Amino acid sequence: MTQVVNEAGFVPGAARAWRKPWRPGRGNGFLLIAPLTLLCALFVVPLALVVVRSFSGPQPGLAQYIEIVSNPSTAWVVLYTFWTALLVTAATLLLSYPVAFTISRAKGRLLTVCLAMVLIPFWTSTVIRTYGWIVILQRRGILNDILVGSGLIDQPLRLMNDGSGMQIAMIHIMLPFMILPLLSAMRGIDANLMRAASVLGANPLRQFVHVYLPMSLPGVSAGCVLVFISSLGFYITPALLGGQRTMIAVLIEQQASRLLNWPLASALATILLVLTSALFIIYERLMARLGGGKPVGEVQ
Amino acid sequence: MRATAGTWPVARWGVLGFTAIVLVYLVIPTLVIMPLSFSSESFLRFPPPGFSMRWYEAFAGSADYRAAILNSIKIGVPAASLATVLGTLAALAVVRGKLPGRRLVGALIIAPLVLPQIILAIGLFPVMIRLGLIGTYPAILLGHTVVCMPLVFITVSSSLRSYAPTFELAAMTLGANPWNTFRFVTLPMIKPGVIVGFIFAFTFSFDELILAMFLTSPATRTVPRLLWEQLNFQMTPVIAAATVVLLVLTMGLLLVAALTERHTRAGRRTEG
Repeated sequence: MTQVVNEAGFVPGAARAWRKPWRPGRGNGFLLIAPLTLLCALFVVPLALVVVRSFSGPQPGLAQYIEIVSNPSTAWVVLYTFWTALLVTAATLLLSYPVAFTISRAKGRLLTVCLAMVLIPFWTSTVIRTYGWIVILQRRGILNDILVGSGLIDQPLRLMNDGSGMQIAMIHIMLPFMILPLLSAMRGIDANLMRAASVLGANPLRQFVHVYLPMSLPGVSAGCVLVFISSLGFYITPALLGGQRTMIAVLIEQQASRLLNWPLASALATILLVLTSALFIIYERLMARLGGGKPVGEVQ
Repeated sequence: MRATAGTWPVARWGVLGFTAIVLVYLVIPTLVIMPLSFSSESFLRFPPPGFSMRWYEAFAGSADYRAAILNSIKIGVPAASLATVLGTLAALAVVRGKLPGRRLVGALIIAPLVLPQIILAIGLFPVMIRLGLIGTYPAILLGHTVVCMPLVFITVSSSLRSYAPTFELAAMTLGANPWNTFRFVTLPMIKPGVIVGFIFAFTFSFDELILAMFLTSPATRTVPRLLWEQLNFQMTPVIAAATVVLLVLTMGLLLVAALTERHTRAGRRTEG
């Protein structure tokens, strides 16, 4: 089996293959003292405090959670966040699959150009990219100029008020997070299997549905979980492009730093924490199973 | 896929065309900012009515931007260095060690990168207040170290997994103590992973907004926070000029990272 590193860097299987009677660095545990101390003090403890604080407030207990569920505006934000994350995940998958397929087949200069076009936005700051989308999508922005100028519509679209501008930008920001896991799975698919299916009489559609698609599914599920987790926690794009539509992270920030309602902010954060942790565990399991793909970094 | 190409050319060209459209969608927001930064007018009009360098001059002359860039470096370099040391230690222990629950430890170290930063931000804010550090350099520096450590952990782990531990075994059989083994065998082998990890960590810290919003003060304000405040206050092409400069810097750094990786890989190939 080839050496495998997915983008999360986990390959339990590969490490296991080298487990010999004698391992260098048998007593390496002490190396973890410093990293784990930092992690406990500045990650585990703060998160625990958030959870504890979510049960505090004027009436201790579940008061904050009841408030979130019973208040239509907060309940709506939670549901809307979910809906947006689902929508963004589905759209990202549909857009990414053909792109990853093409890149997995590309060679030479075409491959370099395609990869650069995926990786440049990946490494551009979200603030900067959201700013670019504002320029394009605002009322007197490029898109409205083109659409009104060409006579396709009479009134400029209000993309920055109804949440659609935010979704367009979020899909854009999430695309590389879907393309890279897909690519990593697709690079691991042996082209001979498709050839075999073809020899046995399957047309391209059947080859795809019965051979290629099932083999790319680990990449699909890993990418979907990754995009869904990230979409749930979006702050910058909803805050700038969401208009009246708000997502959980924006609400947490408003409650904490503007309204100083820390118990409610903590309860919202706890909901987000539990959801993302659960999904992260699923992702981790998937990554352990996605042992067959080629490492993302090895694509070039 | 010769059969596919021959039988289903339309589908094939459809996929290619679709890919091209998505790739254009990917780069468009970045491309739009560039011409805007050379606009002669202060409103965001596209295409810009005239050419000028005034926004770059305004950017270069701005004390706010200068202070923010300095702050971002003062925070990013120590945070990335600390993250590099700790991330490398953790990767050595998790990849080469024989601890029970290594996967759990690995997942715990990755977690700060995966969880939404807003959760950590509202968790760290009261902790930093109690420690009396809020608004100081150590507060944001430590916060960034926690979220950057996973990046180094990931790159160094994959370096460590790219070669068999028999190299270290050989050194130790020949009488090298653990420190010398690390110094003369492990470190040279994982050096690219360490460098790339440092660059990723620095770029991440340089871009990070949410922790900076909660943990910095006007005196320690970083570049993303300044951009953020300007975006919410008024949108002039100074922001476009600033983002172009930052973009060029970021891309330069990442190019160095990519070349480091490619160089080592090419080197390995010729050696092996």
